[in-house]
Amino acid sequence: MTYRLSSLTYTLKLLRSSYRVFPPHNTAQLINTSSALRSHGGLVVHRDTNENNPDTPFEFTPQNLRRIDTILKNYPDGHKSAAIIPILDIAQRQHGWLPLSAMHKSADLLGLAKMRVYEVATFYTMFFRKPVGKYHIQVCTTTPCMLRDSDSIVECIKKKLNIKMGETTKDGMFSLAEVECLAACVNAPMVQIGDNYYEDLTVADMEEIIDTLAKGEAPKAGPRNGRFAAEPVSGLTTLTEPPKGPGFQVRSDL
Amino acid sequence: MFSWWRTMQESGGLWNSIKIIYRRSDLRVGTLVGEDANGNKYYENLRYQFGRHRFVDYKLKEFDASQVPPEWHGWLHYMTDNPPTKVPPVPRKFHAEHQANWTGTTKDYVPYSTTRPRIQSWIPPTNKQ
Amino acid sequence: MLARALLRRVFLPRYNRSLSQSPRLLQVQEAPKLLSVWIDDKMVQVEPGTTVLQACAVAGVEIPRYCYHERLSVAGNCRMCLVEVEKSAKPIASCAMPVMEGMKVHPHSDISKRAREGVMEFLLVNHPLDCPICDQGGECDLQDQSMAFGSDRSRFVDNAFGGKRAVEDKEVGPLIKTIMTRCIHCTRCIRFAGEIAGVQDLGTTGRGGDMQVGTYVEKMFKSELSGNVIDLCPVGALTAKPYAFTYRSWELRRTESIDVLDGVGSNIVVNTRGEHVMRILPRLNESVNEEWISDKTRFAFDGLFAQRLTVPLARDATGQLRSCSWEDVLSRVSGKLVSIQNPANEVVGVAGALADCESMVCLKDLFNKLGSESLYSETPVHIGSCGNDLRSGYILRAGISALEEADLILLVGTNPRYEATLINARIRKGYIHNECEIAVIGPYMDLSYQHEHLGDDPAVFSGMIRGTHPFGKKFSRAAKPVIIVGEGVLARDDGAYINNQIYMLSRLSPVHGSDWKIVNYLHTTASQVGSMDIGYNTADLPDLSSTRLLYLLSADSVDVTRDQLPTDCLVVYQGHHGDKGAHIADVILPGAAYTEKEATYVNTEGRAQVTQAAVKPPGEARDDWSIIRALSEYAGHTLAYDNIDELRERMAEISPTLVNIDTKQDSCFHSLCVELLYRTSPKHKPYQTPISVKLNSLADFYMTDPISRASKTMAQCVQAVKQADKN
Repeated sequence: MTYRLSSLTYTLKLLRSSYRVFPPHNTAQLINTSSALRSHGGLVVHRDTNENNPDTPFEFTPQNLRRIDTILKNYPDGHKSAAIIPILDIAQRQHGWLPLSAMHKSADLLGLAKMRVYEVATFYTMFFRKPVGKYHIQVCTTTPCMLRDSDSIVECIKKKLNIKMGETTKDGMFSLAEVECLAACVNAPMVQIGDNYYEDLTVADMEEIIDTLAKGEAPKAGPRNGRFAAEPVSGLTTLTEPPKGPGFQVRSDL
Repeated sequence: MFSWWRTMQESGGLWNSIKIIYRRSDLRVGTLVGEDANGNKYYENLRYQFGRHRFVDYKLKEFDASQVPPEWHGWLHYMTDNPPTKVPPVPRKFHAEHQANWTGTTKDYVPYSTTRPRIQSWIPPTNKQ
Repeated sequence: MLARALLRRVFLPRYNRSLSQSPRLLQVQEAPKLLSVWIDDKMVQVEPGTTVLQACAVAGVEIPRYCYHERLSVAGNCRMCLVEVEKSAKPIASCAMPVMEGMKVHPHSDISKRAREGVMEFLLVNHPLDCPICDQGGECDLQDQSMAFGSDRSRFVDNAFGGKRAVEDKEVGPLIKTIMTRCIHCTRCIRFAGEIAGVQDLGTTGRGGDMQVGTYVEKMFKSELSGNVIDLCPVGALTAKPYAFTYRSWELRRTESIDVLDGVGSNIVVNTRGEHVMRILPRLNESVNEEWISDKTRFAFDGLFAQRLTVPLARDATGQLRSCSWEDVLSRVSGKLVSIQNPANEVVGVAGALADCESMVCLKDLFNKLGSESLYSETPVHIGSCGNDLRSGYILRAGISALEEADLILLVGTNPRYEATLINARIRKGYIHNECEIAVIGPYMDLSYQHEHLGDDPAVFSGMIRGTHPFGKKFSRAAKPVIIVGEGVLARDDGAYINNQIYMLSRLSPVHGSDWKIVNYLHTTASQVGSMDIGYNTADLPDLSSTRLLYLLSADSVDVTRDQLPTDCLVVYQGHHGDKGAHIADVILPGAAYTEKEATYVNTEGRAQVTQAAVKPPGEARDDWSIIRALSEYAGHTLAYDNIDELRERMAEISPTLVNIDTKQDSCFHSLCVELLYRTSPKHKPYQTPISVKLNSLADFYMTDPISRASKTMAQCVQAVKQADKN
């Protein structure tokens, strides 16, 4: 009897290990898409296009050049190449995104080989090496935001602007990207547009933000449900009264 | 079992039979079914054991089994019961002239290299300097 | 980046700082205190600054590694060299960790072994199953180390069918085939390109699992040392494109030989399969080429299979070259030789770029027996009155390995990047590790290091000598200055005058007259120094209007056309390719190329090195010296040697430097050279022509001699470079 049972369990074990597990349909991970394409950064090789090639016109404005001079003073002699990150950031702010010619100009400014600049620009995902819209909407979809329904924010944007994830609108005003955690988990769900965070969003809030931006005005940044920064929604639980002054609980004769 | 006397008689007598046994180690008689272009004669004798009732009498003294042309080959090897005299072969565009096996003769095929030689010699220019 | 520079500064003390930078110039340095390290309970004593990996090597323990290479900076990113060190919580990367006193290393402990197995497992997770189709199979570091140090099973179970990582192939030129899926990101190629080749075009883009090694933009790896990354790459990511899929490494036979396509004499290994040369790899020689070879050396060998002279040819009555037998051609040439009345003026021989010392000695002996001294080397060298007599007047006296100790190098009339690639690599080594300053007198050139361009006017020397030129002051302050004079000066008619000025400049230096050799000469051909040692004339070719026999010994760049010669002149060409020399020849004697004969070549530093025969000469071709020996017998003036040993004895009589193989002779009587030149140098000013250089771009580098001109790979390289320059 025991012999039969053990052979039965053995057969079951064999059967179980030979199951073929197929990925469920609704996960973002696909068998045939490389992780390079799925990532926010895009491909890490450069293909010349009409708008992004070594001849794309790019020159630092005089104001930016003064900024660069100031930045360079932060770094000691012999280590000026460390300034490449702030300089690329200035170039991106000036142009909206980071074309190849901007990388070349930054390399010439610092006397670096172009490849060193390419290495830095492809490492950091905040350097957009492809054109983005004037208002680049970055939606966080990692766990805390996902639990607070960031998917509906994403759907709202997609429906409102009629674009898919990673695309730009035809007038070049808005583009949508899905990014990793932006460290505003308490105020989930949230989006980052430019340098500002728009937090504690509802679908209506998102639509209002997009409408405001389309009009050319600046929507109110920060949490949208009235609280201050990451304060508890239901009210403060600590630090509810001003601090006690001097003499609190001190003997009166002291 | 055919009588050996009758076989000897039909082979042309005692001396002829001895000559045939010396060369071919085999004395058989049968009805002549046909002859091919090379001169080989094909016989059949249904009184022999099944599977041994058809044979060929080669024309050349240096005979070789590959001298049997394809149309007779099928009949001789019992693949079909129709000799080419009864069912002539269908002529096809791709049929080549039948050749016997030339191994051991001067006409044999020796494989040769069809690749370019590794070292290419310089070919002097033909115009006079 | 910063960490790497720091590590290089602190942990590679072999490259000493130059004396001029050290504050205490004359203090004798004490011997460094040796540190004791216990490796597997065996004590070794090493200098401070050596890494654990190097200390283990001293103890005889070979630690596996992918990214570490002795000649490159330390990266420490492969993690295969992890070993257990006592009192350390984690295993340490032995290639980067310097030893400390009393360190106890256990390279064979359980932790070390499991670390290696783990690293191996990770590397193989994303490595494609390409071994059957990969060229590196059989000589692959990944294969060897996984057999020796890896585990026999992997936990890579791809249940979700995510698949292994796949990376696009990159286009980096016609020489290097890149299959980047196989890349394990050791970054050896990046460090080589940046540090040794001087071309900062390779790098890592992206990060994490999406990291790729490449050029980011589609760019050709335009360097004359680019083929060395094929040797460096531990896996089959970078392989050779011209001979891809043609061999497996275990079926090749190795023959150690010398390269003759430039004057450096790089040591090579010729790999053959049967009677066919399959590839050429570098051989380690610390004094000459370390372990690198140039692209021309590596890939031009396919010119050995095209345009070969395989049968003796002679012009018939109609003027058409027809194949003959050896008896016919030898009797024709010897008949002509014997019939000449006045051989002193009428028999002229020219030794070409690829002529070996044995055949040059034979030819000179034969001509001298006939009464002719008119033997010239193909490249004229105008160095002045001492001519060939004093060796120190025409070789790279300091030696190639001493160039990395120099702190100031002046290049006059030479572009070492394309004329002698390995010498340029050595100069760059000094530039990086020894802070050497380099100045150039010549045209504007693109060297792989920053240099000061002093112009191309020969009059600049007088300024330096008088002290008005700032460089003169810099020169006199340098502790180990080197002047390298190249073909751009030596081939000029006023070369002797400029040479004299260079000697006068070298006198300004305080180390003039000491053991340090300041003035050096760079020759671009493998036969030049040998021909000068043997006694060939280095002047320009004389007027050939009365020549009755012109013997071209592999001479293809000689500037002679048929109309300069009289109609009854017999032009004999002895060589191995149907190049320019064969086109003007009346009689062609097929000789052997450098892979097919055992021959001596003297490199530009005066080091005699011997090639070995890897394959047999094709068709009716024969060894060059034996052709001349046979010719001498036909002509009735039989040379006194019958085999190569007797010939070598004769060579020893002429010059012992020709038979002292693989050693660099210290040249003497240099002061005599200087004195002679000063006394006899022409007093006129140099001509106004600017100093120019023949090979000044990469497109010119690839095809410079008959073998590389016949090579399809070199033609592809020239096309690719021209295309890349246009873009």
